[in-house]
Amino acid sequence: MITLHGVSKTYNEGRPNEVTALRGIDLAIAPGVTVLMGPSGSGKTTLLSLVGCMARPTTGRITLAGEVISSLPERFLTDLRRRRFGFVFQRFNLIRGLSVLENVVLPAAPLGAPRAEVEARALSRLEALGLAGKARMPVEVLSGGETQRAAIARALVNDAPVLIADEPTANLDTALAHRFLDIVAGLRAEGKTVILTSHDPRIISAAPVTAVVELRDGAILQVRS
Amino acid sequence: MIFHTPILTLLLVSALAALVAVWSAGFGISVLRHWDLSSGARGQLLLERRTELVSTLFALVMAAEAAALFLFVFNADRMAALFVGAMCAVGTLNANGYGFPALYGQIASFFAAAVWLVLDHVDRLGRDYPLTRVKYAAVLVIAPLVLLTGALQLAYFLNLRSDIITSCCSKLFTPANAGISDEMAAVDPALALAALALAGGLVLASGVQALRTGRGHGLFALAGAGYFGAALLAMVSTIALYVYENPNHHCPFCILKPDYGYIGYAFYLPLFGATALALGLGAVSPFTARNSLRTPLPAVMRRLTLWALAGFAAYGAVTVWVIARSNLILFG
Amino acid sequence: MTALNRHRALLDFTVAALARRRVKTLALVAVFAAVVFLLASAMFFAASLRREAEATLAGAPDLIVQSLSLGRQTMIGAEAVPQLAAIRGVTGVEGRLWGYFYDRINGANYTVMVPDTAAMMPPPGQVILGEAVPRLRDFKWQGTPLFLSRREGDLVRFDIARTLGTETALLSADLILMNEADFRSFFNVPAGQFTDLAVSVRNPRELSTVVAKATIRLPEARFVTRADIARTYQKLFDWREGVMVALAFVALLAFAIFAADKASGLSAEEAREIGILKAIGWDTRDVIAMKLWEGGLISGGAFLLGTVLAYAHVFWAGAPLFAPLLKGWAVIYPEFRLTPAIDALQLGTLFLLTTLPYAAATVVPVWRSAAADPDAVMR
Repeated sequence: MITLHGVSKTYNEGRPNEVTALRGIDLAIAPGVTVLMGPSGSGKTTLLSLVGCMARPTTGRITLAGEVISSLPERFLTDLRRRRFGFVFQRFNLIRGLSVLENVVLPAAPLGAPRAEVEARALSRLEALGLAGKARMPVEVLSGGETQRAAIARALVNDAPVLIADEPTANLDTALAHRFLDIVAGLRAEGKTVILTSHDPRIISAAPVTAVVELRDGAILQVRS
Repeated sequence: MIFHTPILTLLLVSALAALVAVWSAGFGISVLRHWDLSSGARGQLLLERRTELVSTLFALVMAAEAAALFLFVFNADRMAALFVGAMCAVGTLNANGYGFPALYGQIASFFAAAVWLVLDHVDRLGRDYPLTRVKYAAVLVIAPLVLLTGALQLAYFLNLRSDIITSCCSKLFTPANAGISDEMAAVDPALALAALALAGGLVLASGVQALRTGRGHGLFALAGAGYFGAALLAMVSTIALYVYENPNHHCPFCILKPDYGYIGYAFYLPLFGATALALGLGAVSPFTARNSLRTPLPAVMRRLTLWALAGFAAYGAVTVWVIARSNLILFG
Repeated sequence: MTALNRHRALLDFTVAALARRRVKTLALVAVFAAVVFLLASAMFFAASLRREAEATLAGAPDLIVQSLSLGRQTMIGAEAVPQLAAIRGVTGVEGRLWGYFYDRINGANYTVMVPDTAAMMPPPGQVILGEAVPRLRDFKWQGTPLFLSRREGDLVRFDIARTLGTETALLSADLILMNEADFRSFFNVPAGQFTDLAVSVRNPRELSTVVAKATIRLPEARFVTRADIARTYQKLFDWREGVMVALAFVALLAFAIFAADKASGLSAEEAREIGILKAIGWDTRDVIAMKLWEGGLISGGAFLLGTVLAYAHVFWAGAPLFAPLLKGWAVIYPEFRLTPAIDALQLGTLFLLTTLPYAAATVVPVWRSAAADPDAVMR
């Protein structure tokens, strides 16, 4: 359970290019699949980064499982983030030149788990996502859908309870978008929370989605569940 | 005398350390004035990130200072050949009035940096960074010490002059007494070893007490400092004699030479490491009650205490081994 | 355990990252290693010269007594010998004959000596030569006599008894050893005159007392002890090494600036990678640690490579790059193998000199890139 109370976020405070991306957000995100939707510039990516402990709000309070996290030093925020959240980025952001497996184990490096254990976890994730055969290949040879699945495997390697995905279907055709939704349904069945941003109607109306938060100009327009 | 490779290296280390110290002090002042974790402002975030840089720099400086400490002594020893009457590092360090103060400054800087790193480590355990202000106030104290050490070292090296043969062909003098070590060397070996054993007992008792109750690290630090003093006293008055198997050779530096199998490192590395840890624990002890430290701190302090005890024990063990192995008989 | 695993994982990533940028990494290590090579060569070379000089000096007399006139050294009379021998603690006084000879044929300066041991004494009319002399005179075959010309139209023939080896070549390369009678007639030195006197003393601790007493008996003389000579050599070498190292140091500084520049001007690719690492959960510390490993691998590699190359250069190849600069006290360069003389002080100094400037130059840029906003890749 993640709750936000009066959260706002301003970039470049006090400079000429100051932008207020979010203002006065009150929101509770329950387990299930939540979609943040809205046109570009509505603040959904900023909201995603605040929820995912990537940044601190300028004002307001954020709690995670009852604990206030909005005033934690960055270090502890990072530590929380890498144990609780897995991220899939819009452009997937795999590191070129490394193999699929090497990419997938990266989030585990700072946690200091034994290498064999981490690799076993990564391989079983890759296998579940149908990428076991490509684990040792460089990421450059992967197709678009495969790249996304490798990114999902990376996001889940630390067994985080929450998966966060920014515009996951923006670069995918319909068949691949459905495949992604199948994966999300599977994760939900595993008991994981999934938070997405999207303006893709295919997603919003999809079966596994439990809540839709509509944003406009940095404020919440409506919440449907 | 500046054009001497180890000297150039030492001066480089002190210059870098001084640079870090001055910059950190300046940054420390802004931390003391603006630090506010509850603020979501960008300025606070940048301040936080900058503390990561300071921690990294201090760790580097401490490592370099530790290496420089040994290099300083090692180099003094080798330069002895350049000074009429100098037989080893002691003579070189006595070549002018800045030598020993520079050495002491170097030791003090090393300990200060180590204590600061322990503070830093503990501070970062607490979710509200409870010791940040203390830490940066400490930087303001450490910075002048580092600068002073650098200045002493520079003065020492700039004032090193050895006479060349043409001007002093017939003015030779026999090796003078080292002076500074006179009193320490004159201490009765039995007394010195008893003091070391007593200090060892105190360290053990206070360490075990701290391990059992999770408190009393201040006392442990005091005992550790006492042990450090007793260990150096015993080294000069007694242990050195056993190493050299010579009842008149008291030098605490020669044992670092290859002639004695570098045995000195087996003495000094654990001793300095353990003392640094003990002092660090002492510096942390007033803050154990802070809310955010209650959960994570005891395990860390326990581990550091165990390491410190192991270091002190290692010094004692090497002492016993050296005495047992030596052909010199001082007692009976 | 956790900390160890963490560092292992960070190191794995670092190695993979360096391997991906293989050409860039190798170029950096090569440039760095070249600087280390210069530095290490200068240090090894000077240390080994110092060792060589020490070995030579070990056989030098305890005390040398010279006669001074107008502040310059002149021949000393044999009458000083009994005066010195009478001092308590003196075990022996030998008159020594040596001088320099300028060879007009090839412009070299030879040191001509009468040896102090019978074993080294050549028979009349013969000489023993240092290693460089036959080389300079371009002797083609065994048994070629040595002709020395003191002035126009003068030619003195010496047969060569043998040639010295290269072990102590630094001080003996330009040497010509002569019989005493030959020496006196060749240089016109009257009997009863010596270049200087070599005094041996039973107990080195009494040396200063002996010198004090001798000063009273021979107020005009100058007394030079072995330790004095050792000190002068030491200083001479140290100073030269220092100048060399200061030069190499400038090179190091230039390299540090280059490294800092390179580290701060991260390529877009590298900056993107660090952004990704931060986004997927690496802390600023993790990135710094990873980058420090990278720096450690680079400077460690350069240290190893540079040191090994310098060792080969100085001790196997005879330091062709430095010899003219550092030896340079005689016209003749001896041809000899330097004896390896490496100690922990040198290696420790070298290691600090290598790693510290690199770490210092890169730490701030590294921190700057590591302190990137974790959400930057999402914007």
